[in-house]
Amino acid sequence: MKALAWLRTSTGRALVPLAVVIVIGCLFHQNGAFFEWSTHRAMLREISVLGILACGMTLVIVTGGIDLSVGSVMAVAAVLVSLMTMPLGWGGLSAAALVLVAGTALGLASGALIARFRVQPFIVTLAMMVFARGLAKLLSGGKKVTNYVTLPDGSSSTVDLPALFRAIDSKVLGDHVSVVTLIFAGCALLTWVVLARLTAGRYLYAVGGSYEAARLSGVPVGRTVLLAYALSGAFAAVAGICQAAQETHGDPETGAGYELDAIAMVVLGGTSLSGGRGGVGLTLVGALTLGMLQKILSLNAFSTEARLMLTGGILVFAVLFQRPWQSRQ
Amino acid sequence: MLLELAHVSKAFGPTRALSDVSFDVRPGEVHVVAGGNGAGKSTLIKILSGAITDYRGELRIGGRPVRFHDPHAAVRAGVATLHQELSLVPALSVLDNLLLGERRGLVSAWRGSRRIDECRALLRRVGLSIDPTRAVETLGLSERQLVEIARALGHAASVLVLDEPTSSLAEPEAERLFARIAELRSQGKGVVFISHRLDEIFRVADRITVLRDGQVVFSGPASELNDASLVEKMAGRALDEADVPRPRESARVTLSVSKLGVRPGLADLSFELGEGEILGVAGLQDSGSSDLLRALCGAAPHRGDVTLAGQPLSAASPRAALARGVCFLARDRSESVFPARPITENVTLSSLGRLFPLGVLAVGRERALTASATEPMALVAPSLAAPAGALSGGNQQKVALARCLLAEPKLLLLDDPTRGIDVAAKADVHRLVRQAASRGTSVLVASSDFDELLTVCDRILVLFRGEQRAVLGREEFDRARLLALAMGAEAA
Repeated sequence: MKALAWLRTSTGRALVPLAVVIVIGCLFHQNGAFFEWSTHRAMLREISVLGILACGMTLVIVTGGIDLSVGSVMAVAAVLVSLMTMPLGWGGLSAAALVLVAGTALGLASGALIARFRVQPFIVTLAMMVFARGLAKLLSGGKKVTNYVTLPDGSSSTVDLPALFRAIDSKVLGDHVSVVTLIFAGCALLTWVVLARLTAGRYLYAVGGSYEAARLSGVPVGRTVLLAYALSGAFAAVAGICQAAQETHGDPETGAGYELDAIAMVVLGGTSLSGGRGGVGLTLVGALTLGMLQKILSLNAFSTEARLMLTGGILVFAVLFQRPWQSRQ
Repeated sequence: MLLELAHVSKAFGPTRALSDVSFDVRPGEVHVVAGGNGAGKSTLIKILSGAITDYRGELRIGGRPVRFHDPHAAVRAGVATLHQELSLVPALSVLDNLLLGERRGLVSAWRGSRRIDECRALLRRVGLSIDPTRAVETLGLSERQLVEIARALGHAASVLVLDEPTSSLAEPEAERLFARIAELRSQGKGVVFISHRLDEIFRVADRITVLRDGQVVFSGPASELNDASLVEKMAGRALDEADVPRPRESARVTLSVSKLGVRPGLADLSFELGEGEILGVAGLQDSGSSDLLRALCGAAPHRGDVTLAGQPLSAASPRAALARGVCFLARDRSESVFPARPITENVTLSSLGRLFPLGVLAVGRERALTASATEPMALVAPSLAAPAGALSGGNQQKVALARCLLAEPKLLLLDDPTRGIDVAAKADVHRLVRQAASRGTSVLVASSDFDELLTVCDRILVLFRGEQRAVLGREEFDRARLLALAMGAEAA
């Protein structure tokens, strides 16, 4: 039993489903396609936007909360950055900065309602999800914001895609890594620093572990909750910019349902929805497991329907496996 | 023999929680199980109540071997357990709670109101004359306990297991409970009583079984033991309440309170607390001692004038109070300990701002600080990285106290700091509080255990229903007088 002691750690339990998925991949490799780096590069690219959302979601879930608004906030960001760079012709960096501010502001609004009025995060962020979706449609006029723009004289023409979009949607390091994957890695690193190396991280865990104990211990509970949702909003903005760059337009309908995938990644890693434990490393493992699984299913030409059903089943299996073993004794 | 455990062992991984424990309960007796934290008492209770089902050895009810597969099986077999955390549903009425344990089909009609007289009779058996339609959350703690006993009797329990039933009761309420226990005994029920408190152990016990490290170290009539020998058996060593030299009388006043009021209940409190002084707050359940401490640490709104070291203290939050050097240790461990977080994080949480002003942690330094802060605590823990929730109650309390002490407070507010912890851990906590005081920290300690206050404090403030009744100096300390004042007698 001693050799299996690592299985009792949360990291160990998160790694087992990933290992199982990899073994399945090796068995059903589709004439070696699973062993090609390009397969995994594509997989990493596909999970990057969701993974960025999952980073923010991890911060929120650690406090015992939930953020259902990230998919909609992401759509606001995608529409905003497209509007500013293409029809309005702003520079990529100033547009990105403003979009980050907007995402953070939406997160702050949710956080303020939760921290100040102690409304349940589920309700507040559900409302924000609906509100932000409406905002995205309002800003875009209900249509995709593309590089086919109407000029002031009434004529229409196609403008170049902004450099920001082209930069994000490219590959680097000898075409081995997508830029979005690097952005995801950067977000994960930032989240790790916040959770593991900053006082703020301790406060996030403390608030999630026991709100009242944290308050009585002198933790600035209100500001801590605000920080979690503000960062989640900021990460959603980053995800929205990446999404717009990859789709080459700002779609007000984008990101619908992404909040659930992000939550699935966090939970699959073993971070508890009740708060106070977990971390971004686990989320990374969860994101890889989910991405790898999707890739294997699509390599083996499963239909979309079958893929959805299998993913649901495997999610349940993985989460059951991750429950502390103590309770089964 | 109502109930018998024969050669029962239970291990959790490498830890042996119980080894070869035999134990029995006869009709019409109170059998006390005593032992320090981690001695195996909780495991024993869990086996008796059907919460642990995979153990070695045999459990016999009325001579017949049984094995409970779930807690409900234990109840049906006539073994009712009252846990420290009561298992009533707060939002439901007393009536519904009394009927809740009956196993019935999910679709059968709920005819609670037709059985109101039956419930009234049940409540009368435990000396309660409350309206059965009242919601449980409107009842006091001791009343809730009695409701739970009534429910057990309603299920025709022959053995009642009481897990530290007095840990959250004040003296007169505990007296009421003891009277009920005596009645149950005279009705031929068997009572298993788990407790840390020496005085009550000898009040109720017919027989005593002492556990230490999962083994029975003594089992026999209560008359064979006295305070000292019982403590020695529980701790495995003789204890001395180490006498730390008392700080010299300091003229400097740390805290001055005048006309303090807290809604509801507390009115017109005025007292002073000197530097390095330990002031006890004695009071029964509804005395408002918790409200007083919570008001001072900024967790509850209050009026009146409070000055700390000469400056007005009007802390709007515990965070603001902490910035002024006021630290609060809550009565309930769910409000003071973060079970999922490592010991290190638990200890440093209140000092992070002071230790790392830039907000960036130095993990190595943090670990070293925790090690030095817990070093005088005699902490029993696998490592400082272990989650606090893995420790026994007494050790969790030490971790919470370490957090307060590491913050180097001017004023330390302790709400029942030794509630539910064993004698050895209690002595350690007393020693640490005295040491902190001798370094100049002023301490305000509320406790439901008056012996503790008489041992530790320099002066004692007595509260009765939110009113300040007296402040006793050390030369006026007298247990009977203290109790009388706390129960409402006018100060002479």
